[in-house]
Amino acid sequence: MATPLNPLPLDAWREAFEAFLELPAEGRADEDARRAAFERFAALGFPTRRLEGWRFTDLAPLRGTVFEPGAGDRPLDAAWLAPLVDGPRLVFVNGRHAPWLSQLEGLPAGARLEAVPALPVGFDGDDALAALHAAFVEDEARLVLAPGVALERPLHLLLLSVGDGTLATPRVVLELGEGAAATVVEEHRGQGAYWSNPQASIRLRAGARLTHVALQDEAPEASHTARLAVRLARDARLALARVWLGGRLARADLALALDGEGAEATLEGLSLVGDGQTADHHVDLRHAVAHGSSRQTFRAVLSGAARSVFDGTIRVEPGAQKTDAQQQARNLLLSRRAVANTQPRLEIFADDVKCGHGATVGALDDDALFYLRSRGLGEAEARAMLVRAFAAEFVDVLADAGLVGIVRRLEARLAAFLDREGRP
Amino acid sequence: MNLLEIRDLHASVDGREILKGVSLAIRPGEVHAIMGPNGSGKSTLANIVAGRPGYAATAGEVLYRGTDLLALAPEERAREGVFLAFQYPVEIPGVNNLYFLKAALNAIRKHRGEDELDALDFLERVQRKAGLVKMDESFFKRPVNEGFSGGEKKRNEILQMTVLEPQLAVLDETDSGLDIDALKVVADGVNALRGPERGFLVITHYQRLLDYIVPDHVHVLVDGRIVRSGGAGLALELEAQGYGDFGRAGGASRAGA
Repeated sequence: MATPLNPLPLDAWREAFEAFLELPAEGRADEDARRAAFERFAALGFPTRRLEGWRFTDLAPLRGTVFEPGAGDRPLDAAWLAPLVDGPRLVFVNGRHAPWLSQLEGLPAGARLEAVPALPVGFDGDDALAALHAAFVEDEARLVLAPGVALERPLHLLLLSVGDGTLATPRVVLELGEGAAATVVEEHRGQGAYWSNPQASIRLRAGARLTHVALQDEAPEASHTARLAVRLARDARLALARVWLGGRLARADLALALDGEGAEATLEGLSLVGDGQTADHHVDLRHAVAHGSSRQTFRAVLSGAARSVFDGTIRVEPGAQKTDAQQQARNLLLSRRAVANTQPRLEIFADDVKCGHGATVGALDDDALFYLRSRGLGEAEARAMLVRAFAAEFVDVLADAGLVGIVRRLEARLAAFLDREGRP
Repeated sequence: MNLLEIRDLHASVDGREILKGVSLAIRPGEVHAIMGPNGSGKSTLANIVAGRPGYAATAGEVLYRGTDLLALAPEERAREGVFLAFQYPVEIPGVNNLYFLKAALNAIRKHRGEDELDALDFLERVQRKAGLVKMDESFFKRPVNEGFSGGEKKRNEILQMTVLEPQLAVLDETDSGLDIDALKVVADGVNALRGPERGFLVITHYQRLLDYIVPDHVHVLVDGRIVRSGGAGLALELEAQGYGDFGRAGGASRAGA
């Protein structure tokens, strides 16, 4: 509450919130909690750059505008609905489930996939955007796997947002029982100057294995602020892949807790950040017990006046001996106007651990460029080849997971990115 | 017409004059060797011919088949048939060796108005050439030069040369640091390509390579000038006498590191 109120068109926000509460919504019997969440947001105001966690990311595009929850039955671009992965699909439009677009067949016994009204929870911290999420959250995509159940095909969660000034507030909950396994692709896409403010929580019980791909392919004028919280029990394995492509402002706050011994988390990220875009990943990874391991590799390619932010905390709690935690942030700057801010933070309270971090910020290697050109490749082709090389490991991660549809999307976006970059 | 004609070439690197009036003409079918002590300007000459950024001629001209080579971008030179075997081949993580070579060959073929080679035809061609340079096919799948030993890098250069079939190949101290087997591979690669249309400029510090690639002409470059030219015998003479007779013999090699 100590944070001063920012210039926030609060009356207009309040009006939007009251209008939202008036809307007919099945199962919304939680008005008091929503009001409490909204008041929390109103008291905190938008985070400003005076806050440590927001030093490099300016929410100005959001602060002066009032967004409102949008209708769930907007006209959609048919291309968004082309299959991305071969598996069941749950589609949300503007934070609401669109059952006519979802395909839930083919799930094994012991797997429950549903869209349910979400409860306004999780706003008791000092995160204004989490409070706003709780106030406005509508539907929740929920996957629950009973112990030992494995999804053979990847699950596609398609979270669409449409319309200027629309606030989309979807929630995703994934709960994998002991030894359960799944691949889940969470795709964000849309059209217009909307604001998508999603939240996801993942819980992996002992020995569960999850591959979670976040494909953030929001509209160029859109803003995206996401929070993801994960808890891993003993021997659970999590592979996160973050494909970060769209939005003028895209921010993710990832909080991972390795609560069980032998838990393993791998975080791989690739951001393509074009002129005028900001891509921001904040990671808070906590090793609470012994014998955990974590690997983080975040990559960003920047062109024009782009900005990338990576802020990664690794906490190793007392007693979390034999922790093996590594973090890498790599930035490739294709323009002198691009800016990359990386901030590793290691907080280690155990003495028998292996922890490391590294950060690189650099341009394309001149010697490599000349070498390629000296063999006949044009300058644009040589640059493209080196940028692809920078992204290659990440593409391999997706390809190894069999996610060819996402590889194709990424390659198409990369080609367009390089094409724009190549123009003066 | 001369394949390569260098006329009174002057060049500076970082404001220091390195080449002080070099003239040289290579006719099709000829192999020329340039020998000289470290720091004499050998690598600068190679880099100017290949078009490395930062290496600019301050006076004189370089004609390739009668046209101004210096006006062309590095890739245009390559497409016109100029090849530089690097003294220090560059490691390029993430770029597959074979993929790179195929892209290079097809860029050159496209420039010549030829069809691009499909994957199978290309592979067959590379396999044939790889046998010639005794290069294991496991190198095809690895990133360009990454983790290669010094000798493997040089073999890879020669593989590229034999696949791209340049008109003019410049070898910049390709023999440095090679054992005798690797040296023979380099020589075999060059000798296999020798023909009435092709020319070579072989830059070396030691005479040893010239036992295997017998040059038509040998030039001695000292302190940015060609101080003597002769036949293959000149290399042997230098081996016996050293560069001492030509003045400056010291200095450090700076090129391309």
